[in-house]
Amino acid sequence: MKRERYSVLALLTGLSVIFALGFPAFDGTFATARSSTPAPALAQTAAAPKVDVRIPLQDKSVRFAVIGDSGTGEREQYDVARLMEAYRQAVKFDFVIMLGDNIYGSHSPRDFVDKFEKPYQPLLDAGVKFYASLGNHDDPNDERLYKPFNMGGERYYTFRKGDVAFFALDSNYMDPAQLSWLDQNLKSSQAKWRICFFHHPFYNEGRHHGADVDLRTQVLPLFERYAVNAVFSGHEHVYERMKPANGIYYFVLGNSGQLMKHDFRSAGERLKGFDTDQSFMLIEIAGDKLFFQTIARGGETIDSGELPRNGVSVGAR
Amino acid sequence: MHLPILMRQIRFPVMGRYAASLVLSGTLLALFIPAIAAGTAPTADQATIRDFQQRLNNYLSLQKKQNPPNKPSASADKLAEQKEVAADKIKAARPAARRGDIFTPPIAAYFKKQIAITMRGPSGAKIRASMLHAEPLPDIHLEVNAKYPKDLPYQSTPPTLLMNLPPLPKELQYRVVGSTLLLYDISSGLIVDLIPGAIA
Repeated sequence: MKRERYSVLALLTGLSVIFALGFPAFDGTFATARSSTPAPALAQTAAAPKVDVRIPLQDKSVRFAVIGDSGTGEREQYDVARLMEAYRQAVKFDFVIMLGDNIYGSHSPRDFVDKFEKPYQPLLDAGVKFYASLGNHDDPNDERLYKPFNMGGERYYTFRKGDVAFFALDSNYMDPAQLSWLDQNLKSSQAKWRICFFHHPFYNEGRHHGADVDLRTQVLPLFERYAVNAVFSGHEHVYERMKPANGIYYFVLGNSGQLMKHDFRSAGERLKGFDTDQSFMLIEIAGDKLFFQTIARGGETIDSGELPRNGVSVGAR
Repeated sequence: MHLPILMRQIRFPVMGRYAASLVLSGTLLALFIPAIAAGTAPTADQATIRDFQQRLNNYLSLQKKQNPPNKPSASADKLAEQKEVAADKIKAARPAARRGDIFTPPIAAYFKKQIAITMRGPSGAKIRASMLHAEPLPDIHLEVNAKYPKDLPYQSTPPTLLMNLPPLPKELQYRVVGSTLLLYDISSGLIVDLIPGAIA
């Protein structure tokens, strides 16, 4: 596989940087409300992020970005968003999937601005579409109806891009109706690739949350029956690439805004992990291969590789 | 106990919010009752479940009468406004609403029994593990006909538990806060009713 690597210096100016108060993860007590978090007060001239693209950028491929647990409204979210825009200019991805916890704390109109519209404004202005799934900090009414999240008014939905069918699930409330819907839609999908994304991970080795075993017990049989290829989840505020199982690749990305530093238990099923800074992912699907690149807030690529459809990883590093 | 299997076989078409509500409730009831009649639930529970469904239908009728469905919008202001209006109208239409209006003592007892059976069953350990990993919420004071507390996350409700409770129309959800089971109205953000101590 021809792999191109090149660097681009993208100049971004005038991007506002938020200076917000801390926003701790929910730890059994109520998270401090941040509804009054001021909008970015200072406009700074951001340094141009260095871009190091490690996906091949093949013709007619499907390219998208992934963020999870992003909606803090804090500086780190804005940093990641700025980096995403720099990569968008190089990679030309035109949509982003969101793995839940899109808006932390209160859901006032101001929160939608500070925790979504403002940080991702350059992406939105460039026509990038965001497809959200719901996390435990998300309001199921407000967010499914919020047009920029492209949920079509539903808690769970599907959409297709090229050869790839996406299934956004609501893992907060996996009721029999949703399971039935998933069964029907996976069964009828004619797409070459099937990608599911939702908040609570089937597998992860973080100390803070861990895997949702009941969810896995009920949903995984459908994934296996209908040959789902890749699963993206958030919730644990780290990045993890887990060992594939039965032809399904599992990624956890819950650190695009939040972060749980040094959260890992010893690795058993984890192939790669990152728990010291925020990050986001780039995905490119071309033919029978999925290429991925995970980029930390500081700009360094922390994981990348290529994965065959319904197979074992051959190129991940 | 074949009820969970039966529930997974039920097909719920994606329907409009209000147009489908009563039809869906009736359909669910029709599907649920044969399961009971077939011996998958004690016959003595049949009347309790039917009573629960009737109370749900009454609430949905009131909801429909008070509010048009919330509409998608690119404006967070508009979304907040229509939700606020929906909540105010329902609260005004149920001024005397109190705990037990829907979860009557017999219905609450039925739910507690179903939850206890589920939690003691073969999936109990997985359900407890999932609840523990889903940012469990503490027990707090909650009121019927009041809004779900601002800033409080929504703990996920374990799917196996949902399979063993009477199904709900899409406007309503079972939610867990501490040991309390809530009946939650998504579009208004209101707590319709609750059962303290339901999750033992």
